[in-house]
Amino acid sequence: MDRFFEALFIGLSSGAIYSLVALGIVVVFRGSGHLNFAQGEMATLSAYVASVAAAWTLPIVHWDVPMWGAAIVAMVFGFLVSAATEILIVRPLGKRSPLAVFVALIAVFLGINALDAGLWGAPPSEVVTSLFPNAPTDFAEVFGTVWRYKDIGTLVVTIVITALLFLLFAKTKIGLAMRAVASNTESGKLVGIPTGLVLAGSWGLAGALAAVAGTMFAGAQGNPGQVTPILMFTVFVYASAAATLGGLDSPIGAVVAGLSIGVVENQAAEWAPGWIGQEMKLSVALACIFVVLLVRPSGLFGTVKVERV
Amino acid sequence: MALRIPQNSPPHVAVRVLWVVATVAFVLYVPTRTNTGTIVDMTLALQLAIAAMALNLVMGFGGIISLGHSAFFGLGGYTTAVLVDHYGWSQGWTLPVAVAIGFVVGCATSLPALRLKGVYLALVTLGLAVLFPQLVKWQKAEWLTDGARGINDIGYDDVPTWRFLNVDILPEGRIGGWTFLEELRRGDGRAVFMWWLSLLVLALSYLVCRGIVKSRVGRSLVAIRDNEVAAAVMGVNRSRTKTLVFGVSAAMCAVAGSLFSVSGNLASPELRNFTLVGSITFLLIMVFGGAATLWGPIVGAVVYVFVENKTREAGADSGGVLGFLFGWMSSSPASFILAVLLLIMMFVAPFGIVGLLKRLAAYFVVVVPSAAGTGTNLPEIDEGEAPAIDEPFLPTTTGDTP
Repeated sequence: MDRFFEALFIGLSSGAIYSLVALGIVVVFRGSGHLNFAQGEMATLSAYVASVAAAWTLPIVHWDVPMWGAAIVAMVFGFLVSAATEILIVRPLGKRSPLAVFVALIAVFLGINALDAGLWGAPPSEVVTSLFPNAPTDFAEVFGTVWRYKDIGTLVVTIVITALLFLLFAKTKIGLAMRAVASNTESGKLVGIPTGLVLAGSWGLAGALAAVAGTMFAGAQGNPGQVTPILMFTVFVYASAAATLGGLDSPIGAVVAGLSIGVVENQAAEWAPGWIGQEMKLSVALACIFVVLLVRPSGLFGTVKVERV
Repeated sequence: MALRIPQNSPPHVAVRVLWVVATVAFVLYVPTRTNTGTIVDMTLALQLAIAAMALNLVMGFGGIISLGHSAFFGLGGYTTAVLVDHYGWSQGWTLPVAVAIGFVVGCATSLPALRLKGVYLALVTLGLAVLFPQLVKWQKAEWLTDGARGINDIGYDDVPTWRFLNVDILPEGRIGGWTFLEELRRGDGRAVFMWWLSLLVLALSYLVCRGIVKSRVGRSLVAIRDNEVAAAVMGVNRSRTKTLVFGVSAAMCAVAGSLFSVSGNLASPELRNFTLVGSITFLLIMVFGGAATLWGPIVGAVVYVFVENKTREAGADSGGVLGFLFGWMSSSPASFILAVLLLIMMFVAPFGIVGLLKRLAAYFVVVVPSAAGTGTNLPEIDEGEAPAIDEPFLPTTTGDTP
């Protein structure tokens, strides 16, 4: 049973990161109908920005920037860069064809990756300390298993962010406008919603989510954690799997699928170390979405699109 | 005012002959007048062109997004590597096997392509690209793939000799005792041989692509891309068309991977072209050259290899414009430059280099197709109208008429 709970908890905390990145993918897809291929790279870039901000000392007053302050800087940065991507690249190309946007976002993916490597590449020296207590003694024992504070923190942050997003979508005017644009852009325009602003805002929101995920994930890599150009690549693959599994237009689907993928892969690695083990965890996740998509082509929670001819 | 020439008239034939002569000149120039390094690079370009052509068939003509072609590329590479290293096959004979395996696996993986649409398909094929290196490294598959170490010693040890009618034919430009092009011997014999072998496969792939695109299958494919429901209503067998084309595409990609591993003398899960980077490279080449054109991938691959080579070493130390612009980068600026170029390309010329050239040429020369029937009723063309540059990405033309 100990092994079960340990794998469960590790699965939930790694699934939390997948969920955050997947949420960003979903927010973008709902708003503009594009797959943000650069979401993972946005998270990596933001993690770099967080590490730079944390290493900075404020002039005159000589205060060190605390880690949470650096995380906020990274979030603002992620918001701006992501919104700029929408305004400068996605919107003009979107008028042409969705495939053009897809290719352009792959170019953005490649460009940010190369930029990271070029600015901070060799030797890797940027580090991010964890947002949560991360000393060797910082853990709680639950059911006889070790639950580290940083993992609990990641999970809690994800749940809080999901709740906030739910409130944003369900209870606020901005959320209402976002839903209106997602369901029908033309009608949204007619009732006076500034659709361009809302779309840029959706992308910005996704960028901020990416920044949170990137900073937390980098901090969880070690004490302090190393930021590398390929930091978020595997996470992005998991997150895209989660977003697909949950249905690309369902935020709650992304969170449920992200957590489930985290749990399933870790349980599989725990109970079948010979066949799956740590190396083949990703394959389990990908096999899962493959099977699910064959049965339900729009994911578990996604809306089935019916086209009128 | 564009000059109007009728199809198959002497000027039109002249243009086509010019095109063929330029191609033949390039094909002969590389192995005879350049050094071994250039031959190796251009051989790589040919192999990448085959892979990009395969992707173009699916994505450019078929509109089926695939990020999984690096897996087929790697599959071919590993087929050759395993057969040569473990079973002692000769390199050349592994190519048909790679084609067969690629075709079968491609048909099998096209099953989700029949059910999934757009973005979902992109994500599943992305999974395929990520999965392939993992499967190769899997400890249960190590007996076959040698795990993360990879398989080496699969290239030719010596220049292969072919005997034809009791005469030795060597790729160094010697038939029997007669050396017909002394310059052909300038490069390393094996590199020259790989050039000709890759060129042969590329030519075959081009013919296959051309055959598919200009046939009923190709027209069905384009119809499915442009309006799937309408195509189905018109009687196009969607699943058969997609499965066939995906299988052919995977087979082409696999044979390109075979050539790649023989040239590079290595098959390893760490090779860039066997991972997702490979898929992105093929996509980049396809878009650079021109999606949904037959010559696009070839032109794109040559340009890609050229740009990659020119910028790989550019950095702070190298002077010049590149050093000035990208001196701040601590790593090679090649992929950054390629990404920026790709982005600019999407805005300026989403139809690629070949598409751009075609549109530019259309300002000067218009080939008027000969009309069916008596040949007297030439179609009316509004002379004042310039060809529109603002066409959507992936134009609906079904092929080149150089």
